Amino acid sequence: MNLVAKILRQNISIAQFAAYTLASLVGLAIIMTAVKFYCDLTSQPPAAGDKMIGADYIVISRRVPLLAAFRQGDAPAFSRDDIADIEARPWVRSVGAFTNADFDIYASVSLGGRGLSTALFFESIPDRYIDITPEGWDFDPANPSVPVIISKDYLTLYNFGFAASRGLPQLSEEMISQIPITLTLRGNGHTDTIAGRIAGFSSRLNTIAVPEAFMTAANKRYGSGRPADPSRLIVEVTDPADPAIRHYLDSHDIEAAGDSGSGRTGRIASAITTVASAVGAVIACLALIIVSLSIFLLVRKNRQAIGDLIFLGYTASAVSTYYKHLIITINICVFASATAIMLVASQLWHDTITAIGLAGASPLSAIAVGAAVTAIITVVNTITLSHLTAKS
Amino acid sequence: MMDSRITTITLDRVIPAVFETSEVAASEVWLRHIKLCRPESYLVEAASGMGKSSLCSFIYGARNDYHGTIRLDGRDIRSFTPGELAALRRSHLAIVPQELRLFGSLTAIENVMVKNRLTDRYDETTIRRMFDRLGIASRTDSPVSRMSLGQQQRVAVIRALCQPFDFILLDEPVSHLDADSNAAVAALIGETAHANDASVVITSIGNRLALDTDKTIRL
Repeated sequence: MNLVAKILRQNISIAQFAAYTLASLVGLAIIMTAVKFYCDLTSQPPAAGDKMIGADYIVISRRVPLLAAFRQGDAPAFSRDDIADIEARPWVRSVGAFTNADFDIYASVSLGGRGLSTALFFESIPDRYIDITPEGWDFDPANPSVPVIISKDYLTLYNFGFAASRGLPQLSEEMISQIPITLTLRGNGHTDTIAGRIAGFSSRLNTIAVPEAFMTAANKRYGSGRPADPSRLIVEVTDPADPAIRHYLDSHDIEAAGDSGSGRTGRIASAITTVASAVGAVIACLALIIVSLSIFLLVRKNRQAIGDLIFLGYTASAVSTYYKHLIITINICVFASATAIMLVASQLWHDTITAIGLAGASPLSAIAVGAAVTAIITVVNTITLSHLTAKS
Repeated sequence: MMDSRITTITLDRVIPAVFETSEVAASEVWLRHIKLCRPESYLVEAASGMGKSSLCSFIYGARNDYHGTIRLDGRDIRSFTPGELAALRRSHLAIVPQELRLFGSLTAIENVMVKNRLTDRYDETTIRRMFDRLGIASRTDSPVSRMSLGQQQRVAVIRALCQPFDFILLDEPVSHLDADSNAAVAALIGETAHANDASVVITSIGNRLALDTDKTIRL
């Protein structure tokens, strides 16, 4: 039996050390769990391919000038130079242009014997900017049928605005996808009728989108032939919260719309992580204060014994070794338990993360942060101990 | 760190900080220049309150509240680092303080072993034999808190001997001992000091250790 330990074990308050253990465990677990949560939410999807939910997109257009209503034709558009200028910005990953239909479109549906018909517009963008890839998202001129993606907002508007106030039935995405649509395309001396269907709903695109292949073919057949500059662009950005973006858009009279939900998710994840980490850090600091006070009280209470050991020829560091071992053991146990809590907690949202198409992150970052915090706490503890013991 | 043995302890105009100059006019130690040379033995005699325990603590480097200089082989004891002081106390200076400073939670033998494991001076059999010589063999494994003051004094003496030393400071080591025990303690200390070729410095106000000393100094 180590006699020094036997002497110094006296006056150790189990309650104080239990309080420290609990407080530091809660603090560390919150910090590590928050870091893991953040890493999971900002992780890349398993296969970096068509679903780019992790990335951030903004749709931009020229601000409509006050007198635009009195001018015919030319909508404010982006010239080739404008696009090159935007592409050169450091916060831009890539730029995609919306292509407008240069012809007239009428859509009609037949619902229970009642026909509904409306004028319509189409736009297209390169496929890689579309957040969903519906089945049959292409166009075959030999067997023409046009898949259409509409904004989720339109369906929401109908279901919760129009239908609810008029007592009409609410429609699900599946139901709408079953409705056959007849499209009449007119322009350049041609008039054709082809089949269409709603293939999907996009939360990123605030438009009615058709495959680019169809748009190219249709503009050639029905269009006037004059090349038109795009009036809207979709921009993949590194960080939608970057203030440089807002500054650039304002100074060039450009409006941003249709932010993707995922960009918001990233910001929310960041905010949650910041708040949770701050709470965890505060608790960890309180734990540190508790243990520092406990060490202080312990050393004060055992001051006589520590002084006697030093009187016998023990060095202060030899005397404090026992307490240091105690603190290090507690801190390692706390770290191990906090790691376990973080891993268990991350299982709670694992299914959700997988469901929205993210791979989830390795727990190593969270473990590294936890280890760093533990190391800092341990170093502070041992320095406090050495300091107090030397003063005894 | 002091590797070689200490041969002299000099006190140069030393006086406890709380003392007035007039109080120590008759002292042969305070405010004087005196030199303790190994292996001579010294008896420091004094009336109560003249600072015997303070003197031991000053020489041992445990207290600094004095004026003047104490040197071990020419080196000011105040210049020793905590590490050097610890080494000094393990191999050069032994002490039996008046307040004994035993650990109440430990048994008698454990109190000795706390020191002996630092110095690895004796095996346990030798230590138990010392307990036997001082007449406390039956109390070896009792908690010191349940021992009489006289028995505790003997434990403290054994503990002080469990190290190599050049000087041993004994602050009223036999104040609670009868004549037989006094003689046994004196014999053990005398033999061990002789074996170490060391000096014995004893303080006393009344009951003296039954050990012949070379010099008597009035404090």
